[in-house]
Amino acid sequence: MSATAKAAYFWRAAVQGIRRAPFVHFIAVLTIALALFAIGLARGGGELLESLISSIGSEVELTVYLKPDATDADAKEIAAALSKRTGTEAVVVPPDVALGRLAAQLGELGSTLTGLPENPLPVSVEVRVPEAVRGPGGLRALAEKVRQSPAVEAVDYGEEAVERLSAIALALRWGGLVGFALVLLATAIISSATLQLAIYARREEIEIQKLVGATDRFAKIPFLIEGMLQGLAGAAAAVGGLHLFWALAGPRLSSLLAFLSVGGCVARGVDPVLALQLAGLGCGLGLAGSFVAVGRFLRV
Amino acid sequence: MFHVYKAYPGDPPSLSDINLHVRKGEFVFLTGPSGAGKTTLLKLVFCAEKATKGQILVGGRNIARIRESAIPYLRRNIGVVFQDFKLLPHRTVADNVAFTLDVVGMPRREGMARVTQVLKQVGLEHKAGSLPLRLSGGEQQRVVIARALVNDPTILLADEPTGNLDPALTVEIMDLLCAVNVRGTTVVVATHDASLIARYDKRTVRLERGLIVADQDGAKAARRMAGAE
Repeated sequence: MSATAKAAYFWRAAVQGIRRAPFVHFIAVLTIALALFAIGLARGGGELLESLISSIGSEVELTVYLKPDATDADAKEIAAALSKRTGTEAVVVPPDVALGRLAAQLGELGSTLTGLPENPLPVSVEVRVPEAVRGPGGLRALAEKVRQSPAVEAVDYGEEAVERLSAIALALRWGGLVGFALVLLATAIISSATLQLAIYARREEIEIQKLVGATDRFAKIPFLIEGMLQGLAGAAAAVGGLHLFWALAGPRLSSLLAFLSVGGCVARGVDPVLALQLAGLGCGLGLAGSFVAVGRFLRV
Repeated sequence: MFHVYKAYPGDPPSLSDINLHVRKGEFVFLTGPSGAGKTTLLKLVFCAEKATKGQILVGGRNIARIRESAIPYLRRNIGVVFQDFKLLPHRTVADNVAFTLDVVGMPRREGMARVTQVLKQVGLEHKAGSLPLRLSGGEQQRVVIARALVNDPTILLADEPTGNLDPALTVEIMDLLCAVNVRGTTVVVATHDASLIARYDKRTVRLERGLIVADQDGAKAARRMAGAE
């Protein structure tokens, strides 16, 4: 018994199987392709959502107001400590700059500020919070730490807004995860059912194979190869479809999201990693679907 | 076979207390009316069914207790000619016959040489590239015999191999089976055709309602069947 002869037979049988029933195999490939396309789209949408959340979150800013008697050295020391802790640059805002900004924000009413006998605004230090400490817990801890300095009067980071944003992000991530899991489950069920239909048409062949002395493994392997090839073909079609989708819809989506947020949200399309993941998933789906389907007809 | 029983839930027993010994190289007719249990008995031998009770020894091995994983290897030593042919309609005659050799992993070139040889033996070498549905009933039956013989089995089981054939083709197929037997293969033919048994001087086992009611040597059986005709 030659292993090479058997391997040659398995591949020959798989290819012949596909050639003999092209329509059924086309349906199976189409089902897998649609399922993988939906998964790829869900993942791309999830990434876009993450990018949107991250883009909105990048606006989170922590402002430290110093006491009136705080010196420039105190401000620089706090800015340095903040920079070290957050890894981003902390900016010292002198009182006159702060007053200028306030006047600008007030617009026409800003001119009333010029009548003030003295600048009431303190020296402040501003820092754009990096993603690592952007959550409510991280920001609270950072604010507490900064508050311990004797030169600090108050710390503000828009606590309520941050908590709301964080809750929305969490809900979207969990929703996305559940949606992704559902799509994956539906894909597995539909693909398996379609492959079962394809194999059902050839149950007689399996029966005859068993009756002339084929082992279960021998009868299964050509179907598993067929399943794997269908999965790969489905993945290739899905990657092609996704590429086309992002090429057509990506720029529009990016511009829409840029309008909603501050920018930085880019629909990335299909990267090689996603293409490989879809190919792997397609192979897995094809193999698992065929394995389950062919098993039902082996009891001869 | 020793005290073999086969029963399906809710039905009367298909086989009851079957005791049968077929020697190596023997030719045996298994006869009886439809529903007597002939096909069931053959199925027990190639493990398409499991005996409810009793022992079945094939080549000294008790197949009543055989592991599922060992069944394919047993089947490779038993050629079966099915009543309903069981040919793959989308594969050529040669591919249908070669199927058995693919299962044992014989290289294609070597396998095709063997297929050609066995097709010649059954007189179908000129139909190697045809699809089974384009052949006559007799030709299809001969393809099935070729498939059963291609692996040089030690036992050949034939279930009503001439059931759908005209008298001339029946003789042709039976002569083929006799020739296989002469070369040393044990042959068991299930048939309800009395004229066939009368024509060939072979041991005949008669089944009725799942019981062996007669087991006669060739001459006796032929005389009895000739009388019955």
